[in-house]
Order: sequence, then C-alpha cells, then structure tokens
Amino acid sequence: MKKRKLKNLQFGFALAIIFMMSNVWSAQEEKNNTGFAWKDGAEIYTKICAYCHEAQVGPQILNRELPAAYIRAVVRNGNRAMPAFRDSEIDDESLAKLADFISKKEAQH
Amino acid sequence: MTRKYIALPNGVSEKNFDAAISDFRRVLGDASVLTSAEQLAPYIKTMMPVPDADHTPSAALLATTVEQIQGIVAICNQYKVPIWMISTGKNLGYGSAAPAERGQVVLDLKRMNRILEVDKDLAFALVEPGVTYQQLYDYIKEHRLGLWLSMPAPSAIAGPVGNTLDRGVGYTPYGEHFLFACGMEVVLANGEVLRTGMGSMPNSNTWQVFKWGYGPYLDGIFTQSNYGIVTKFGFWLMPEPPAFKPFVIQYQHEEDIVEIVETIRPLRISGVIPNAVVIAHALYEAPVKAKRSDYVSGPGSIPDEAVYRIMKDHKLGIWNVYAALYGTQEQIDVNWKIVTQAFGQSGNAKILTEQEAADDPAFAYRAKLMRGEMTLTEFSLYNWRGGGGSMWFAPVSQARGSETLKQMALTKQILAKYGLDYSGEFIVGMRDMHHIVDVLYDKTDPEQTKAAYQCFDELLTEFSARGYGTYRVNTAFMDKVAETYGPVQRNVHKTLKKALDPNGILAPGKSGIR
Ligand SMILES: Cc1cc2nc3c(=O)[nH]c(=O)nc-3n(C[C@H](O)[C@H](O)[C@H](O)COP(=O)(O)OP(=O)(O)OC[C@H]3O[C@@H](n4cnc5c(N)ncnc54)[C@H](O)[C@@H]3O)c2cc1C
Repeated sequence: MKKRKLKNLQFGFALAIIFMMSNVWSAQEEKNNTGFAWKDGAEIYTKICAYCHEAQVGPQILNRELPAAYIRAVVRNGNRAMPAFRDSEIDDESLAKLADFISKKEAQH
Repeated sequence: MTRKYIALPNGVSEKNFDAAISDFRRVLGDASVLTSAEQLAPYIKTMMPVPDADHTPSAALLATTVEQIQGIVAICNQYKVPIWMISTGKNLGYGSAAPAERGQVVLDLKRMNRILEVDKDLAFALVEPGVTYQQLYDYIKEHRLGLWLSMPAPSAIAGPVGNTLDRGVGYTPYGEHFLFACGMEVVLANGEVLRTGMGSMPNSNTWQVFKWGYGPYLDGIFTQSNYGIVTKFGFWLMPEPPAFKPFVIQYQHEEDIVEIVETIRPLRISGVIPNAVVIAHALYEAPVKAKRSDYVSGPGSIPDEAVYRIMKDHKLGIWNVYAALYGTQEQIDVNWKIVTQAFGQSGNAKILTEQEAADDPAFAYRAKLMRGEMTLTEFSLYNWRGGGGSMWFAPVSQARGSETLKQMALTKQILAKYGLDYSGEFIVGMRDMHHIVDVLYDKTDPEQTKAAYQCFDELLTEFSARGYGTYRVNTAFMDKVAETYGPVQRNVHKTLKKALDPNGILAPGKSGIR
C-alpha cells in the first residue's frame, strides 16, 4: 500500500519533469522575470490602506500612534468590513514595516 | 475536532493528511505550507451569513511555479486531498479567500505574480494569477505604455485573473472582462499543462491575439469552474483614448428606470455609449456621502421617505446613470450631442458632467472606475449597516425597461420583508443587465445574520421561479444556484468533471460541480 503511494508520487514528479522539459513554448513569457515585492511600509500604505483610510471609508489610522501589534492583528484578521490580508499579499516582514510606518509619527507626511 | 489542524478535508484521515502535508512541504518548502490557526486566520474571514467553521481551510499552499503546482496535484491525487484555488483572493461578498467546503486546502497563487508581457502595439497583457490591478497599473505607467485597465470596484487589491475567471465585470468599454480574455495556461488535475487557443501550438506568437484557436473553444470551461488551475492568463487592454468624458444622469422616480433603460439600450448596442454603464440606485451611492443612522434608527428597512430626504440633502437622483464617452474630441462632441438629445427628450433627466460634479465623491470614484484608475471608495457601502456582512445578489436581466422595473420591485419587496435595504444597481452589458444588489447586514448581530441568510435564499427562489438566473454567487449558495439551471446542464458539468478530474481534487463544490 505504502509502496504504491510512493510510486504514484514518483509518477507525479516524473510527469512534472516531463512537462518542464517539454516546455517548447517560446521564451515570450520570460521577458520579465521578477515577481512583485513591496519596497517599504509607505508604499503598502499608499497602495492599499490609503484608498479607504484616507478616503473617509475607513477611520483615519495615521498619527494615532496605534500599537504595531494591533495593526498587525487587524491586517491579518480583518475587522468587520475590513478585509483580512494574507501573508501572500503582505508578507510578515513587509507587514512589520507597514505597522512601523503607521504607528510611528515621524514617518508620516 | 483535531488538535494538529484547525480542520481536515472531507474523508481524509489525520494520518493521511500528515503525509500529504509533509509531501507538500517537500515540494514547496516549510514556509509555504501554512497550517496554524494564526497563519490561516486571513483565509477564514468571509462576509457571508454562515458560520466561519463551514468554510475553514485545513491548510494553505503558496505556490509560485507551474512545476510546484504539478507536484501539488500529484500529491492531491494520491491522498484525495481537495484544493481550492485563489489568485488574488479578494472575492469579497462571494466567499473571499475561504474555500467552498470546510477542510479544503487553499492553493493561494498570490505570490505567483509576474507580469510576463504587456504589448504596447497589440494592446494585450499576459500575467500570472497573483498580479493585482495596482501592480499592472503601476507597470503600465512606469513603462508609459498608454493602455487602460478595466477593473472591478475593489481594483487595487483584486486582480485580472481571479476576477475574469469568476466572470467579473468592470466599467470601461472592456467591462465584460471575459469577452476580452485571450489565451490561458491551465494545469489540469493530471498534471498536464494546457495552453488554450493558439497557445497549444509550439512557437506560435498569436496566443494573445486570436482567441479561438482550432477546434472547440476551451477557455470558457475554465471560468466559474473547477476543471483546472489557471497559471497564465492573457487579455486585451484598451488604448488610452485622446479624450474621455464621464457624466451622470440623475432621475427622481424609481419608475424612471423604464425610460432610462429604453434610452440607453440603443445607444449601448450601437456603440455610441461604449462602456459598461451603471444605473445606481440612491441607496447604492448614499454611503459615499451619508450616514444611515442620520436618517433612520431601529430595525426594518429604510422607508422611501428617508431615501428621498437623502437624495435631496446629498444631491443624488433615485437613479444615477454613470456613463462615459471615449475617443477623439471630435468623436466625443458628436456622440455627446446624440446622448444629450436622447436623454433630453422627456425632460426627466438631469445631466451632469465633470464641470458640475467633479467634486462630488460619488461622481469622482465612478469616473475613476470608468477610466481604470485605482479606487476603493465603493467600500463605503459597508458603512451603511456596519458589521461587515455582505452578499452580492446578482440576477441577470434583459436590457428592457419593463424587466428592470419588475426585478427592482421584487428585490425591494423581499429585502423589506427581512428588514434590509435595497442597495442596488444595474450594470448595462451589450444586451443584458447585471442587476447587482449588495445584501448588506450586520454580521455581528445574530438576528440580522439569520434574516440575511433567509432573505438571500428567498431572493434566489423567487427570481428563479420567474426565470431570472443569477450570474454568480457566494460559496454558501452555489448548489442552490446550480440547481436553478436544471439537471441537464448539471449533468454535463459533472461529466466534464469526471473526465478531467476523476479524483475530484480541484475545488469540489465550485458552481455546484463535484
Ligand atoms: C465593494 C465591492 C465592490 C465590488 N465590485 C465588483 C465589481 O465591480 N465587479 C466584480 O466583478 N466584482 C466586484 N466585487 C467582487 C470581488 O471583490 C471582485 O470580483 C474581485 O475581483 C474578485 O476577487 P479576486 O480578483 O481577488 O479573485 P480571486 O478571489 O482570486 O478569484 C475568484 C474566484 O475565481 C476562481 N479562481 C481564482 N483563481 C483561479 C485559478 N488560478 N484557477 C482556477 N480558478 C481560479 C476561484 O473560484 C476564486 O474563488 C466587489 C466587491 C466589493 C467588496
């Protein structure tokens, strides 16, 4: 039983390798190879948070010295109508920068 | 209840799930296999009036390559573990990032986010599932490509792949998004990689310019479905027009919807008004400007009298028709004349342009949507009731005035029975209308949550009884809607499912297909 499972798995991987090798399609899609990464907390704030929190949709969050832990918790869990944001959208490191940006007064415009 | 996992897939033992998880880790690395309650929290929150437990995932997988996805489906087949695919995962009001059924593993493709190509001359893009509209918007600006996006109201945080695969809509002339899709790459349940249309041919350079390829057209079966995992997606972009003229036409009576639709239909079909026009009810626009609690308190739906006061106080029509003209200034001048003549005839319409309405927050965000600019202002809908409850009720209507009036009246009547407001709009397609109603309720209030569920159920029942089908629905009601389209279609869907995914590993339950 266990052996068969393993075999299946190997078959799966073999299949994967075949497809990697038989990728005869042109290099068209390889022109731009880098995935997306956030630059800093300010960028995340501008390109996500500000659309609501600077537009009278959500409450103002800058200049309130909100604790970083609270910001992280709200971002990950959402809050009522505010959607939750996943690690795949804002990774932990970027979230730390975002929380820092929002909670620290001097970082703001 | 299990200790190690917050949920388990249906029919999979903890022991087998352990084995699957360790195999997933081998393919993806430990950091990309999420199983703890804390890691999975953002996948659990939905706006639907059902317990979160019904849609709690057992794990989430963050894949970034086709090869990893092939590895994942091999493991899923082996252990019969079902996965639920998301791209940007912001299907808010339709189930968000949570799976259709408890225990499904979310395959989160947000990190697979390369913009593979944007062709300025041919005006198309080829992207991976995790690309957001904001990312693409920035890319186009940075490279001065002179192309416009069409996106849904959650623009910045959503993405073209997930939106189009769920057959979503936007507000530019390219607003019916699937019409402008051109070529997909799909990982099938058996690990094979299909490129649809011209993409199947080695060395073809027409994948993103000719939709149909040769033989039966397949792209459609990968939308609103669970027949494959889309890993690349091509679509057309609109060249930035030399001039753009957004406008709003306001009407004062609910029955005027008949005149509005009869006036717009010929203009839309002939292309004089090229974009997906929105006919928004005052209660859809009010939250941008007004607070519900300033006009009404206590339970029950808002009375018409209060709605009329809101209209007066906040310069809204009961219907607000948002549309735009695109082209050279000369073209716009000619078409503007046709539009103003058509709407001017009855004397019921009040026509406003940027000159009069640029500072109006409702007009401003609608104008942004009609030119593919990022905005999340429509989220103010959620301040209306508060409490974060929302389901989109989305029946399709003919673009015929008498039909829209009937649908509006029926919706309003059923909502009122459950104490809910009519936050509705019609998005004008080529010959159809997407009647879109945000069924807003306070999810922190158990009574209202229960009422919202029953209300939505009744809306579906009553509409389908009259032959009105819904175009899309949240994950709690997919079976019910599938049922309304009859047994033959359901059977065909099932036959395809069996052929393409015999172990049922891909998103079981999507559109009622298992
Ligand atoms: C205020 C507000 C306004 C809205 N306005 C609009 C609007 O104007 N128009 C509109 O269309 N929607 C609207 N929505 C609904 C929704 O938010 C959008 O449709 C959004 O684009 C969907 O989320 P997404 O793009 O992140 O897609 P995702 O959540 O990533 O995907 C949506 C679905 O597609 C399928 N899917 C996703 N990726 C794959 C894949 N790679 N392979 C196979 N299947 C896949 C899955 O079933 C998934 O659940 C609105 C929501 C809110 C809250």
